[in-house]
Amino acid sequence: MVLIAIIIGCLLGALIGMNAPTISYTYSSYLAIAIIAALDSVFGGIASVINKKFDMKIFISGFFGNAILAILLTILGEKLNVDIYLAAIVVFVWRMFMNLGTIRRYYVEKWTDKVKQIHEQKLDTKQNTTKDIQEKEV
Amino acid sequence: MTNKRFVSIVLGIMCFALTVCICIQVKTVKQYSTSIGQNYDQNNLRAEVLRYKEKYENMLKEIEQADNQLNEKIEEATNQNTDLEDAKNEIQEGNKLIGTAEVTGAGAIITLADSNLDASKVLDPSKLVVHDLDVFYVINELKNAGAEAISVNEQRIVPTTAIECGGNIVTVNGEKIGSPFVIKAIGLPENLANLQRTGGYLQAMKDAGLTADFKKSNHITIPKYTGIINYKYAQSVED
Repeated sequence: MVLIAIIIGCLLGALIGMNAPTISYTYSSYLAIAIIAALDSVFGGIASVINKKFDMKIFISGFFGNAILAILLTILGEKLNVDIYLAAIVVFVWRMFMNLGTIRRYYVEKWTDKVKQIHEQKLDTKQNTTKDIQEKEV
Repeated sequence: MTNKRFVSIVLGIMCFALTVCICIQVKTVKQYSTSIGQNYDQNNLRAEVLRYKEKYENMLKEIEQADNQLNEKIEEATNQNTDLEDAKNEIQEGNKLIGTAEVTGAGAIITLADSNLDASKVLDPSKLVVHDLDVFYVINELKNAGAEAISVNEQRIVPTTAIECGGNIVTVNGEKIGSPFVIKAIGLPENLANLQRTGGYLQAMKDAGLTADFKKSNHITIPKYTGIINYKYAQSVED
């Protein structure tokens, strides 16, 4: 369900984005940092859905708040001649990897559980058949 | 279940907004940069240049708006006063003559371009490029053939125009332009076609291995001069 919604959203976004007008180059660096922040929020949202700790208010406020804060920090950095956006990128990308790690661990564990189950089922049937054979022999 | 549906809808909307932003960003970056420099300083410098270019374009737009406003005011003033009609026509005529108005008409398009030969295999590579003097001579011949308005790569030739050599480029009106040089001229096309004559400058350039195309055209639009013509020292002589 969640996966389908994400895929539909991405496809629609790509379609509209391809036909949208471009923005001026001055603002593209701000948009870039906002994209990184929003991407981090989305991964965080997916990870929290998996952890069953999803809170809509936190998610939405994080999505917009992080993006706006990142843009403001970038502007402040430009004014102070310090590349604050580098720190923002480091933090966001680090968090993105953490969230991706959570997502990955969940699915890998799910998969291994499934494989284990199938294996156990097979073992059961084998034991049953060997029992049958033994019984017949007896 | 409803909670999960709600969550997935919100996540879908977020992803939608995100991909729209990413697509716009990718398009913007693609539009402005052909290659990504390896160096951090290089990237910064390029961004700076692009920002100034954008500012320049915005300024040009503002000037255009001011021009339009001026035209509107002139229009308004002349509507109410028929005596000013002559003055308005005089201004328009003057703008046309000195090159501060866009003009259109029949004429010719000449394209000068560097030679395709490999520069490392020739004795004198400087003979394979179009020089400032080549542009200058062609413009001179056009004037001689009766051209009324001339532009080189969208730079209007006005009385104060200088054509200079700037290394591997040519400067016209202080703007750097490079090969191919598209010289547009408005005039009687049959007269302008005399530039193609044997022994003419275009023929000589072709013989030297450069590209020098001549094409007649019925619809040529020549842009106006965007700079300022300001005479500080020349004063009118009182009769």
